[in-house]
Amino acid sequence: MEENLENSEWMKGIKEAGFTTPSNYFEELNDSIRARMITERLRASVPVDGHTVPPNYFEQLQLNILAKTAKQNTASRQTKIVRLWRSNVLKYASAACFVIIAGMGVYFNINEQKATQNNNYTETATEQMLFDIDEEVIIEHIEANYKDQQKPTAKETALENYILNNYSQNDLTGNL
Amino acid sequence: MKQVEDSEILEKFSNIKTRDEAFNLLLNKYQQKIYWHIRRLVIDHDDTDDLVQDVFIKVWKNLENFRSDSQLYTWIYRIATNESITFLNKQKQRNNTPLDEVSGELEETLVASSYFDGDKIQMKLQKALLKLPEKQRLIFNMKYFDDLKYEEIAAITGTSVGALKASFHIAVKKIETFMLNEDITF
Repeated sequence: MEENLENSEWMKGIKEAGFTTPSNYFEELNDSIRARMITERLRASVPVDGHTVPPNYFEQLQLNILAKTAKQNTASRQTKIVRLWRSNVLKYASAACFVIIAGMGVYFNINEQKATQNNNYTETATEQMLFDIDEEVIIEHIEANYKDQQKPTAKETALENYILNNYSQNDLTGNL
Repeated sequence: MKQVEDSEILEKFSNIKTRDEAFNLLLNKYQQKIYWHIRRLVIDHDDTDDLVQDVFIKVWKNLENFRSDSQLYTWIYRIATNESITFLNKQKQRNNTPLDEVSGELEETLVASSYFDGDKIQMKLQKALLKLPEKQRLIFNMKYFDDLKYEEIAAITGTSVGALKASFHIAVKKIETFMLNEDITF
């Protein structure tokens, strides 16, 4: 009790003299001293950990590491970095080529679309015209224009009939 | 043999002509320290061998970009610590091991190791250490075996000095209790 009082008086004196300590310092100091005492005693009994290495291990380890770094060095020397844009001229020329190619692509694409549209219109118009003409007129027109064309012989007609009777449309299209 | 200064190593490394010499000096200075730092964490010699090589390859690749605002040895220790913890985490994932059972696996490795010739008390201390959480084990090893200062450990682990002290005190208490329970007096 007397000692505590003495301590607190002593502390008070120090504080009054302007000295301070980190917060909780005296609480931690107790733990620090205790931990230090235990480790000192332990160190006297167990100065080393007991792990070992194979003979000449560290000499070999150094050689292994140096061999690996040398390999890395060689690899980095062999990997030659080629700059894509060596000069401004090449840069601008590439950009111009790109613009020309893109422009041509766009131009031809538009033309192709127009041509396809035209073809579609022509086909539809022809179909519409044939639809409007009478069937008899068309037959007469064909007969008048293709008089020279050979008429199928009886032999051919028989063959035609045989094929139509014995084979389905699927068989025929499959073999064509 | 006089230890070469880190500043000299860095200066030589910055010159392409003396780069290999600088790296040789760095290996001479740090390879054993880093080996033992990793070994105490991963226990197995072969795993340590792989990791220590990986660490120095990383050092080689990145030393050119190393900024002198931190010390060279804390930087190398930090790489080694990160590699070791990553390795231990991968080992846990690979074996589907719950966090609290990792110590059991490491203890088995320690007992089966042909590169451990410690006596009874050394074995007990290692077993006590393997019962600790990873961070407490890491801090205890650096303080007890590597004799690093709290400020240095703080720079390596990125933890405040106050938190480190608290972790170390708890670790020491746990080790003492474990040793006393195993009837080991020191």
